[in-house]
Amino acid sequence: MGNKKRGLKKLPYGFIAFAIIPATVLVTVFLLIPVCRAIMMSFTEVSLLSQKTRFVGLDNFRYMVRDEYFIKAVKNTFKIMLVTPLITISIAVLLAFIVSQCKLKEKNLYVVLFFLPNTLSSAVVAIMWALVYHPTSGILNGFLGGIGLSALQHTWLGDASTALWCIAATIIWSSFGYYMVLQMAGMDGISPEIYESAVMDGATFWDKLFKITLPLIKNVIGITFVMDMSGVLGASYTYSTIMTNGGPNFASEVLMKYIYSIGIKEGSMGYASALTVVMLVISVTLSIISRKFTERSVK
Amino acid sequence: MVYNKKDRFKKILGTNLVRFLLIFIAFFMVVPLLWSVVSSFKTNTEYMLNAYALPKSLQWDNYARAWAKSNIGRGTVNSLVVVVLKILLLLVTAVPCSYALSRFRFFGSKLLLTIFMCAVFISGNYIIVPLFLEMKSLHMLNSLPGLSVVYTAFTLPFSIFLLSGYMRDIPHDYEEAAEIDGCNTFQTFMNVIVPISRSGISTITILGILNAWNEYPIALVTLTSDAKRTLPVGLANLYVVQQYATDWGALYAALVIALVPTIIVFLIGEKQLLSGLSVGGLKG
Repeated sequence: MGNKKRGLKKLPYGFIAFAIIPATVLVTVFLLIPVCRAIMMSFTEVSLLSQKTRFVGLDNFRYMVRDEYFIKAVKNTFKIMLVTPLITISIAVLLAFIVSQCKLKEKNLYVVLFFLPNTLSSAVVAIMWALVYHPTSGILNGFLGGIGLSALQHTWLGDASTALWCIAATIIWSSFGYYMVLQMAGMDGISPEIYESAVMDGATFWDKLFKITLPLIKNVIGITFVMDMSGVLGASYTYSTIMTNGGPNFASEVLMKYIYSIGIKEGSMGYASALTVVMLVISVTLSIISRKFTERSVK
Repeated sequence: MVYNKKDRFKKILGTNLVRFLLIFIAFFMVVPLLWSVVSSFKTNTEYMLNAYALPKSLQWDNYARAWAKSNIGRGTVNSLVVVVLKILLLLVTAVPCSYALSRFRFFGSKLLLTIFMCAVFISGNYIIVPLFLEMKSLHMLNSLPGLSVVYTAFTLPFSIFLLSGYMRDIPHDYEEAAEIDGCNTFQTFMNVIVPISRSGISTITILGILNAWNEYPIALVTLTSDAKRTLPVGLANLYVVQQYATDWGALYAALVIALVPTIIVFLIGEKQLLSGLSVGGLKG
């Protein structure tokens, strides 16, 4: 009795093998190996005539930096990847604070309703919002016309200056509930006494938010910001393809969609792999930044 | 701390302002959904005339046409198959693995856990090009079980991350008691650990269901025949085709048919999902 040194006991190797091998095999075959293949294939190109693969060194990358479509797609991707989380996380934090501080009985109902859009298929959300943005039969223009703001009506998805931001707005609608729940989890760790003594010292709502809450959940904000960047990056294909098909004229084309066009539609696997490598570099960078926040929060 | 009538009034005003704000936002969340439901009962002319008007009568035949035209029945069945297969495979692989990695220290356990953590950031969407080629050579294209296997691989890293976080906090006393009772590791796992981790397991199950049901890009690319299309893919196809046709009613009906199961699943599982995310979602 009282033998707490589990590490010294004989390890159940049979069970461990049975437990970890299937998961490891699946992740290796369908996640890790494709990543390696993408890197390797990025130095090759498939000749359309002979169907043979040949080594082309850095040609794909040289072509890429001069490819205006690539540059447009990357610019759009960065725009949406930086702005969307900024707005999403700000709203998430503010609402998380309001909801967790308020004393309304139906608190949970609001959380459920805010989270609901996040559970819907991105394809379905994209279609639904494309219909909302429809210039003649959609409710956005209908609403603006109805309250006398018909000057503000646009062909939202057909206008190069608004298309990308309409997609961003849809993504914000569908994801902020999820991040609000995560922020609330972070705020749960703050003991109420801190707020109570602050109120006794005369703190206002904004004081409580900016001077107490935000500094304490800095790391949660950091992690969720990076998570959202990664999420937007991954989700961008569905929204951009269904809502605008990258138009008008590549105004809302994103990198992921470009990869699909080059690789799956055109069949230039080598160039598509080179584009994939760029995508992976962005993703790895995000992952590293996020681990910095995770490490900080553990301290 | 309310001392007089004026303060009490301010407090009630404050509370109701907050309530008003939250209701306003909740309304904004729900409006597109409500509008889709209302539109699904309109005739095409009613719809094009006025976005906000209520239908004169309920056009149920929109739904009949949606069902026939968009192959929604088939799409739903396909999505169901994929989801069920994926969840079975996910549970069988993720739960034992999370247990082994969180409770035992063996050669490579730390490395493996780190690899899984990093893999969380590899979204399947990024690697579609090499993945497509790989699935082609493994004869997994246009196959629902094949898609389920791939979905499982995509969800494994996050599931293991979440579940091993939960399991790390289980006191060792349970296992020691089981050992004293003569259980081997597998029996301990099945009879003690799994029941205790019920809430973590339900969270990853719900997340797994939602991810598989809602996924679009990979299904779009790998399921090449109409018969195998999952629900989101079939629906998006309908939308693109509808751009040039004018059967709005059927389109909205199809949307609603696609939305309803997800909303029901969510409302059933929301308590578990939200608490599971709060507890496990941020642990490192």
